[in-house]
Amino acid sequence: MLDLQHAAAFLPRTKIHASVDYAVTVGSDLCIVTAGARQIPDESRLNLLQRNVALFKGIIPPLARYSPDSILMIVSNPVDVLTYVAWKLSGFPSNRVIGSGTNLDSSRFRFLIADHLDANAQDVQAYIVGEHGDSSVALWSSISVGGVPILSFLEKQQIAYEKETLENIHKAVIDSAYEVISLKGYTSWAIGYSVASLARDLLRDQRKIHPVSVLARGFHGIDGGDVFLSLPAQLGRGGVLGVTNVHLTEEEAQRLRKSAQTILEVQNQLEI
Amino acid sequence: MHKTFSTSSLGPGGLDLTEAFFKPIHSAAPPSPTKRHTKISVIGAGNVGMAIAQTILTQDLADELVLIDAKPDKLRGEMLDLQHAAAFLPRTKIHASVDYAVTVGSDLCIVTAGARQIPDESRLNLLQRNVALFKGIIPPLARYSPDSILMIVSNPVDVLTYVAWKLSGFPSNRVIGSGTNLDSSRFRFLIADHLDANAQDVQAYIVGEHGDSSVALWSSISVGGVPILSFLEKQQIAYEKETLENIHKAVIDSAYEVISLKGYTSWAIGYSVASLARDLLRDQRKIHPVSVLARGFHGIDGGDVFLSLPAQLGRGGVLGVTNVHLTEEEAQRLRKSAQTILEVQNQLEI
Repeated sequence: MLDLQHAAAFLPRTKIHASVDYAVTVGSDLCIVTAGARQIPDESRLNLLQRNVALFKGIIPPLARYSPDSILMIVSNPVDVLTYVAWKLSGFPSNRVIGSGTNLDSSRFRFLIADHLDANAQDVQAYIVGEHGDSSVALWSSISVGGVPILSFLEKQQIAYEKETLENIHKAVIDSAYEVISLKGYTSWAIGYSVASLARDLLRDQRKIHPVSVLARGFHGIDGGDVFLSLPAQLGRGGVLGVTNVHLTEEEAQRLRKSAQTILEVQNQLEI
Repeated sequence: MHKTFSTSSLGPGGLDLTEAFFKPIHSAAPPSPTKRHTKISVIGAGNVGMAIAQTILTQDLADELVLIDAKPDKLRGEMLDLQHAAAFLPRTKIHASVDYAVTVGSDLCIVTAGARQIPDESRLNLLQRNVALFKGIIPPLARYSPDSILMIVSNPVDVLTYVAWKLSGFPSNRVIGSGTNLDSSRFRFLIADHLDANAQDVQAYIVGEHGDSSVALWSSISVGGVPILSFLEKQQIAYEKETLENIHKAVIDSAYEVISLKGYTSWAIGYSVASLARDLLRDQRKIHPVSVLARGFHGIDGGDVFLSLPAQLGRGGVLGVTNVHLTEEEAQRLRKSAQTILEVQNQLEI
C-alpha cells in the first residue's frame, strides 16, 4: 500500500486503503479476487483446486456481505471452477459473477497472429473460449484481421494449411503461461493489463465483447449442469449483458461441450 | 517479420499468412527516415526495472523498449509477460537480451541493475558491489548509444551517477540520477494526505543525497501557491523545528519501511522514473529534483559530486538548475550532504 501511495505526485489522486479486515471493502463496485495458491511449474490448473476452494469459503461470503451490489471478478485458478464456486458462495445473480477466463489467452493468441503479420494486435479478432486451460477451444472459423476472415483468406489464396499446424499454434498459446512461469516464476504483467481492461469496460459501461468465464448453461448445447467457461460476452455496468451469438463449426461446438464436460467432472467432486 | 515466439508454427514451415495478406498501394516508397522513433533501454529486469518498464509501456512513452539483464531465463519470461498484453496496449516493440548490442540507438538508457538493498543496509554500503557491476554496464551502453541520455536508478544513486558519468565520457547534462525525485513525491504525499489535498498541488523539494543526509527545503514548500512556513507564522501556529525534522525523517525512513514490509520497493520508483522519462523525451522542460553535477551550486566546491537539485529537464537532458532560495541553514546542510557523498566517492577507484 505504502509503495503505491508514495507515487502520489505522479498519479491522479486515488484513495488507497489496505487491510486484513474485509470491512474496508464495504460498498465496492467491483471486487477482484486473485487470492490463491500459486501455480507450480507443470502443475495443471485443476490440481490447485482443492486448496483454493477452502480459501474461497473465507473470502467470498464477507465480500458479498459488505458489497451486495458489487460485480465479482475471479482471477484465481482454476478460474472456471472457482467462478462457479464464487457464484454459489455469494448468492449473486449470474450476470454479476465473472471469471477472467480466456481474456488473456485470447490476447496471447492475437499477439502471435499480429506479430507474424507485423500488424496491431487490436486489429486481430480472435477468440479462445471454453476452459482457461488445456481444453480451451480456438475459434479458427471466426478469426479475422482488419475484417478479413483468416481461413477463407487462406482458401481464396489457395494457401494450403494442415489442421495440425493450427493445433500447434493453439497449443503454443496454452503453453505460454507455463513458459512464463518456468522462466520468471509466475505471470503478472499481462494478466494485470487483461483484468484492468475488463474492469474499465465493466465500470465505464463500454458494452465491449470479451471472452470471459460466464454461466454457460444453455449455450451451444451445454446442458450437463451449471458450469462457467469462457464465451464471447458483452460487458457493461450491469456485468454480463449477454453472450454473442458467434457461429461455431460443429467441431468447435463439440470441443466446447467437451471442455464443459471436463470442468463439470472436476466440479462435481467438490462440496459447496 | 521477426520471430519472437518459441514456436515456428506461425511462419515458414508452419502457417504462413504473410503471403499477400497486406497489399501495398501503387507508387509506394519505403518509409522516410524519421527521427521520431523513441527507444528506451532498461538495464536490470528485477522488481525496479520491470516496474519502470511496465509503467513506460502503460503510459505509451516509447516505440521500442529493450530489457537487458544477466539472467536470460528471467529476462525472457519478463519479456513474454509484457508481450502477451499486446491486445490491451498500444503497439510497442519489446526486445530482451543479455547482449548490449540490442540497445543500439537508444534515446534513454535507464540503469537499475545492482545488488538489492537488504533491510537496514544503508545505501552507501551497497557501493562497492555496484561499482564493479557498472564497469561492465556503462561502457557498452555508451558505445552503442553515444547520443543517449543516461539515467541511473541503482543505489547509492548519487555516487553511481558520478561513476556512470566518468565511465561513459558523456557530457554532464546527459547523465542524471533518479535522486530525490521519489523522496520528494513521498514528502508531497505526506503533506497532501494531511491536508486532504492533491499531491500535485504541493510544491516541495527534498534535495541533496538520496539517503540519510538529504535536505528538506521547508522554506520553499507551498501548497496551491501558499508558502507553508509563512502561512504558519501568519496564522500564529507554533511549530517546533523538531516536528519538521520528524516529518523529514519519516520520508527518509519510508523506503526502509517498505523494504522491511514487502522486501523491496517497486511501484513508486516505477512511476517516478517514468515521469522523468516522459519529461525528458517529450521535452517538457519540467522541474524535478534529480541527481546532477552539483559543483558550483550553493557553495559546493569540494570536487565533482552528483546530488539532487531542482533541475529543469528536457530533450537535451538537464537544461539548468533552478535558482531556488535556500536559507543559510539549508545551504549548510546541502554542503554537508555533498561532503558525505564526496568522502565515500574519494575511496573509489575509477
